[in-house]
Amino acid sequence: MTRPPLSALQSLFQNRIQSGDADSERAMEALVVSDVRAGAGERVAVYADAYRLRLTEAMSVDYPALCSLLGVPEFSRMCRAYIAAYPSDRPSIRWFGRYLSVFLAGAPDYSQRPVLSELAAFEWAQGETFDALDAPVLNIEQVAAIAPTSWAGMRLLPHPSVRRLDLYWNAPEIVKAVSASKRRPAPRQTAKVTPWLMWRDEKLDIRWRSIGDDEVAAFDAARNNQRFADICELLCEFVEPEQAPMQAAGLLKRWVMDGLITDIDIA
Amino acid sequence: MNKSSRLSALGFGLGLRTDHYDAILEGRPAVDWFEIISENYMVGGGKPLQYLDRIAARYPIVMHGVSLSIGSTDPIDRGYLFELKGLAARVQPAWISDHLCWTGISSRNLHDLMPLPYTEEALRHVAARVRQVQDFLGRRILLENVSSYVSFTHSTIPEWEFLRELTQAADCLLLLDVNNIHVNSCNHGFDPQAYLDAIPGDRVQQIHLAGHTRNNGLLIDTHDQPVPEPVWSLYREAVRRFGPVSTMIERDDNIPPLAELVAELNRARRIAAEAQNAVAA
Repeated sequence: MTRPPLSALQSLFQNRIQSGDADSERAMEALVVSDVRAGAGERVAVYADAYRLRLTEAMSVDYPALCSLLGVPEFSRMCRAYIAAYPSDRPSIRWFGRYLSVFLAGAPDYSQRPVLSELAAFEWAQGETFDALDAPVLNIEQVAAIAPTSWAGMRLLPHPSVRRLDLYWNAPEIVKAVSASKRRPAPRQTAKVTPWLMWRDEKLDIRWRSIGDDEVAAFDAARNNQRFADICELLCEFVEPEQAPMQAAGLLKRWVMDGLITDIDIA
Repeated sequence: MNKSSRLSALGFGLGLRTDHYDAILEGRPAVDWFEIISENYMVGGGKPLQYLDRIAARYPIVMHGVSLSIGSTDPIDRGYLFELKGLAARVQPAWISDHLCWTGISSRNLHDLMPLPYTEEALRHVAARVRQVQDFLGRRILLENVSSYVSFTHSTIPEWEFLRELTQAADCLLLLDVNNIHVNSCNHGFDPQAYLDAIPGDRVQQIHLAGHTRNNGLLIDTHDQPVPEPVWSLYREAVRRFGPVSTMIERDDNIPPLAELVAELNRARRIAAEAQNAVAA
């Protein structure tokens, strides 16, 4: 194939870069001019090397804490395996690393260390929160203006940046230390799962906090478009029934003050 | 009917980089315009777009993409084009550019500016796609000549003639990267002056300046160094031929403080003025 159609050339070149097998290497080099400056093999290799370097660099930007925990050599090896398993399929490199947590949970070399998958999930959620859709946030006065008779039917719309995570490891602590260039704590498994909320505040900075079981039940119900009355009912599992509305109102106030709620639909 | 005339020149600009957001907003540097990497702002919201809105309120912006993949044999990614058009509606850029390259096929992306063979087939293919993109965007686009490390044995057209033919066939404009001309002249052994001689000046809307590094026998377009002397010399030649063209410095790695880039940009201003004065004399 000395004069391949454009589609065949691109297929061969891409194959050479992504798989690096000997057949595509030979076929590709036969199509490239060699001269005194560099041979065809060296020239083609510039693209193959740049491909892995560029994607690995993008991953190190998205996953600095994971890179710190694994160390650069192991992180690079891991990236190589991920690049082979999940070739990029979006025009923007921004999305390339989105399957890393899933990959780490399933890859034999890494699944024995579940902290890795959780850390990846936490760091990816940070990226999603960082550039999630813009939306207004409700203030406390707007909520206070809702007629008491409407409260039972209220449905809450969380801000697009809000993420809910359930973690068994101290990923947030590791991320915080690495981000502040402080000594990274050792991975530590918690006695039981810790639920977290992550969101973007009014200064567009990322924030997160752990939440209790009552808030998990209430917030997850709110995210699932349940009515405020249903949230109150769920909270009866945690407080006396007559205290549930007050408890729900207190949680709503906290969410509004944190900037987690974009709108309230009054049926 | 082809409209070969250029759009208005913007002067001397820099690539907008996150490291410089605050320095730009606080210091109001003497930069005439900024070029953004389109894909960095094709996101839902948050800080990147907020900074962009604030900077776009003070400076003209041009959009420079890396993922159009105009030379790919995959169908044009309509989703990408919709996003690009949406960003343009928000930013109101003076123009939109991308690269004469392909970035992947079979719905995969290599995130690199892959070189094309310079053949009649590639020329027809790219020209048809440029027209398709321009029809969708409702404006002419600029295509940039890329650095390359391979040339194909079956290429039949010199790179500069390919560019000239393409601008004519597709009625598009050029973003002439002077560093890439220098890099390719060293990597493939051609005369960069002959390259400039062949470029239709009325199509050159923008010039890129950048630095590179050497890797054994090849120059690599790394954008991590100041603009080197051979690129300044070639820039002088380009201005002598093409007159005042909007010029910017690209720096993507090893990014120095903004003041350092502004000083480098001032050198571009001086060279351009000298070259134009010499022509006028």
